[in-house]
Amino acid sequence: MIYVILIAGLLIGAPIAFAILASLSYFMATGDAPYNLRIVATELFNGLNSYPLLAIPLFVLAGELMNESGITGRIIAFANVLVGRMRAGLAMVNIWASVIFAGLSGSAVADTSAIGRVFIPEMEKHGYDRAYAAALTAASSVIGPIIPPSIPVIIYALIVTGVSVPALFMAGIIPGLLLAVFLSVYVMLTVDMKKINAASAALNEEKQPAREALLGGILPLMMPVFVVGSILMGVVTPTEAASFAVAYALVIGTFVYRKIKISALPRLFTEAMRDSAVIMIIIAAVSAANWLLTYNRVPNMLTDWVLGNVDSKTTFLIAVIILFLFVGLFLEGIAAMLVLVPILHPIAVSFGIDPVHFGILVIFNLMIGLITPPLGLCLFVAEGIAGVGMARLTKAILPFFLVEVAVLLVLTFVPETVTWLPTALGY
Amino acid sequence: QTIRIAHVDPDEWTGSKKGAAAQIFRNIVEGETGLSVEIFPAGALGNEDELVGQVQEGLLQMAIVSGAMSKACPAASVLDIPYTFASATVAWDVLDGEFGEALGEHCLEQTGMRTLAYGETGFRNFTNNTREIRTPADMEGLKFRVQPIPLYLEMVSGLGGEPTPIAWTELPNALSTGVVDGQENPVGVIYNNGLHQLQKYMTLDGHVYAADFLVISDEFYQSLTAAEQEVVARAAVVAGNMGRSIQQWTSAEGVLAVQAEGMQIYSPTADELAMFAEKAQPAVVEFLRGELGDDAAWIDQLQAAVAAAQ
Amino acid sequence: MTKLNSLVSRIFGWGAGLSMGLVFVIIFVNSLRRYTVGQSVQWGEELPVYLAVYGVMFGVALAYMQDRHIRFTIVIDFLNERRKTIMFILGDVLMAVTGVMLVLSALAFVERRGDTMSSGMFGLSRWLGDVTGIKALDALGTLGPYQYALVIGGAMITLAAVLKFIERATALRGL
Ligand code: NA
Ligand code: NA
Repeated sequence: MIYVILIAGLLIGAPIAFAILASLSYFMATGDAPYNLRIVATELFNGLNSYPLLAIPLFVLAGELMNESGITGRIIAFANVLVGRMRAGLAMVNIWASVIFAGLSGSAVADTSAIGRVFIPEMEKHGYDRAYAAALTAASSVIGPIIPPSIPVIIYALIVTGVSVPALFMAGIIPGLLLAVFLSVYVMLTVDMKKINAASAALNEEKQPAREALLGGILPLMMPVFVVGSILMGVVTPTEAASFAVAYALVIGTFVYRKIKISALPRLFTEAMRDSAVIMIIIAAVSAANWLLTYNRVPNMLTDWVLGNVDSKTTFLIAVIILFLFVGLFLEGIAAMLVLVPILHPIAVSFGIDPVHFGILVIFNLMIGLITPPLGLCLFVAEGIAGVGMARLTKAILPFFLVEVAVLLVLTFVPETVTWLPTALGY
Repeated sequence: QTIRIAHVDPDEWTGSKKGAAAQIFRNIVEGETGLSVEIFPAGALGNEDELVGQVQEGLLQMAIVSGAMSKACPAASVLDIPYTFASATVAWDVLDGEFGEALGEHCLEQTGMRTLAYGETGFRNFTNNTREIRTPADMEGLKFRVQPIPLYLEMVSGLGGEPTPIAWTELPNALSTGVVDGQENPVGVIYNNGLHQLQKYMTLDGHVYAADFLVISDEFYQSLTAAEQEVVARAAVVAGNMGRSIQQWTSAEGVLAVQAEGMQIYSPTADELAMFAEKAQPAVVEFLRGELGDDAAWIDQLQAAVAAAQ
Repeated sequence: MTKLNSLVSRIFGWGAGLSMGLVFVIIFVNSLRRYTVGQSVQWGEELPVYLAVYGVMFGVALAYMQDRHIRFTIVIDFLNERRKTIMFILGDVLMAVTGVMLVLSALAFVERRGDTMSSGMFGLSRWLGDVTGIKALDALGTLGPYQYALVIGGAMITLAAVLKFIERATALRGL
C-alpha cells in the first residue's frame, strides 16, 4: 500500500515531497509499534534541522540578486568574450559560466537556478532547443560542488576519518575542469550550427564591444574572489560565505549598478525562500524516508549483495559506481553518503584505493545523481524554469549523463587526475 | 527479540571506542542469550540528540551517547564541570561507584532510559594555531570553537578566550582558514578527524572528562527475563570498559601520532592546572547552580565523590 | 485567482520573505562581528536554522498556491487540459490529506519532544525572559516553538490545497 500511494501520488503529478510524505504517513499511522505517525514529523524536522542546509536558500538568494542586479548578465558577457566566438558559443558560455560560478557556489541546485533563468530563454532565442538548453544547464551545474567550495566535500570529510578537507578541495579542481572540457567537446561536436546561425542572424543583435564586456566583467568576477577569498582568509565558513555572496550582490546591484530597488527586496526574498523551500522539503522528506530504510537495514543489504559478488579492485570500483548511480536515482546525495560511505570506505582502503581518490569518485558519482530522473534535483529545477515537461527533458539529458559517466570512468581509472594536484601542493 | 543499538562512531573495534563497545556487547549478548543485536553505527539513524529521542520513543532499544545525555537529564551536566577529575581512573571510580549509580537512577526517572554502564569519550583538550598555551593568560583573545552549550561558553570565557559556536560540519574549514583560532576535543577525536593537521599547538589540560552513557529503554529492559537482564547488564559493563580501553589506547597513540606529524604538545604542571581550574570552575559552578535548581545538589555530591575517590 | 487566494498567497509570501531576510541578516552580521570584534552570539548557529524551518513551511505553501512544486510530469505531459486538471484536483486532495496528517503528526511530536533543550537558544531565551519579565519566553530555549513550525506548515498546506481544489474545480466546469 505504501508503494501504491507513492507511485499513484507521483503519477498524478502531486509534489514529490508530499507523495513521499503521504505514503510515509500512511505507513507510520497504520504500522504496528514501534511505528507511530509522530515519527514523520520527527524525522522531517531532523531533516531540516541542519546548518549547512542554509547554504541552499542563501545561494539561491544570491542567484536571484545576481540576476536582478545584472551581475549574471555581465559574467555571461565576460565568458562570451572568452568562449562565445567558438562553435556553439552560447552553450560554451553556459558551461564556463558554471565553472566561474563554481568558485562561489557550494550547491549545484543554486547554480542551475541562477544560470538557468538567464540561459534557458536566451539559448532558445538563439536557436537551441529549449529542452537541450535546460539539460545542458543542469548537466554543467554539477561542476559547482566538484570545484571548491563544496558542501558535499565537507560532509564527506567528516564521515571518513583522516581525510582532510583541503586535500579533497584541491582534488576536485581538475575533475571539475575535466567535466567542463568534456561537456564543451560534446556540445561542439553535436550542436546543429545551421539552426543557431539562422536564429542568431535573425536576432540582428548589436555586438557589445569586447573591451566593454571585459571591463563590465570586473566587478562580477570580483565576486568569486570576494567569496572564496573570504573563506580562505578565515573570515567565514563555507555556509556563511553564501551570505557574503548575497551581501556582495546586494551592494553592487543597489549602489553600483543601481538595478535593485529596495522596494523589490521583499519579492526577491520571498521568491528565494519559495524556490529553496521546494528543494529543502524534498531533502527533508527523503531523509525521513531514508531513516525508515536505514532502520530496516535496506542500504546494508544492498551493499552486502554487491560486495558478495566482488573480488578485485577494478570490480569493486565498477560495483561502487553502479551502486552509487543506482542509489543516486532515489536518494539525495548527502543522505546517500551518510548511509553508504562508512561501510564502503574501509573496503576501499583495504583494496588499496587512495582515500582522497575514493572520496572524489563518490561525490562525483552522487552529483551525477542530481541530473538523473526520477529524483534529480537539478533536473527538477531546470524543468521548473524551462517548463518543457519531464519526458522531453529526460530524453535531452541522456547524452549529457553518458558524457558525465565517461568523465567518471576517466577519474576512476586514471587516479592521477584526482590525486596529482593535492599531492603536488603537499596535501 | 532484537536489541537495536545505535551510536555515532565508526563501526570497528580497533580505534573506535563506541564501535568496540557495541561490538563486544553484541557478541556477549548473542552468545549467551536468544536475543539478537543489531548495531546502527556512524550516526546512520541520526545524531546523538536524535538517538536519545529514538530510545525514548522505543524505536531503538539502546544507544551509546555522550554529550546528548545532559540535554535529556540536566543533572548529568555536572560531570562537565571543568577540572573535576584529575585522571580517568578517578572518573572510573566515581562513575562505577555510588555516585554513578545514583545519577543513573535519577536519569532513569527523568528520561525512562536506564544507564547500564559508563564508557568514555575522553578528556577534552584545547588546541590552537596561534601560540602555546601554558596558563589561562595565553588564552586571552583567542577564538575557540565550542559546542553551543552554555556551560562550555561559560568555561571558555572564564578562561579568557572567545567562545565561538561553529557547526561541527564547518569546523575543519573554520580551523584551516582561521575563522577560529582553536577548538577543544578529546585527542582521539582530534586525531581521527585530522584536526591536528589544521592546528599547531595542543595543551593537555583535560578540562572536561566526557563519559559515554550506555543507555537502554527501561520499558524494554523490564520486558526481558531476569536471566536476560543479567547478561545484558553485565555485557554493558564489559562494553563500557572495552570502550574506555580503546579510548585510552587511541588517546595515547594519538598524542604520539600528532607529535610525529608536527604538532607541539604541552602538558601543564600541577600549578598551571590549578590556575586553569581557578579561573574556569567557579564561573561554571555558579552558572550551573543557577540553572539546575533542585538538581544543583548533584554538584556537591559529585565533589564529595571525587574527594573520596582521590 | 480569487481575492481570497491572492490574500492567502501574500501572507505565505510575507512569512517566507521575512524568514529569508532574517536568516541572511543573522548569518551575515554574526560572521562580520566575529571577524571584526572577535565576538559572536551563541544563538547564531541555531536561530537561523529554526527560522528557516518556518521559512520552508511558508515557502512550501506559497509554492503550492503558485503551482511551483517539483513533481513528476512524465504522465501528466501526455494528457489534455481537462484530464490534466482532474489529475491536479486529485493531487489537491492528496495534499490536503497529507497536510492534516502532518498537523496530527507534528502535534504529537511537539507534545512528546517539545521540551527538549535547545542548547544554543538557551541563553537568549533566558535573557529575553529577564529583560521583558515574561517567564513564558523561557520556552524559546526549548525545541517546542520551532517544532511547532510543522504544525503551522501542515495547516497552511491543507489551506493551500483546499483553495487550489476550489479554484481548479471551478475552472474544470469551463473545460
Ligand atoms: Na563550488
Ligand atoms: Na551552466
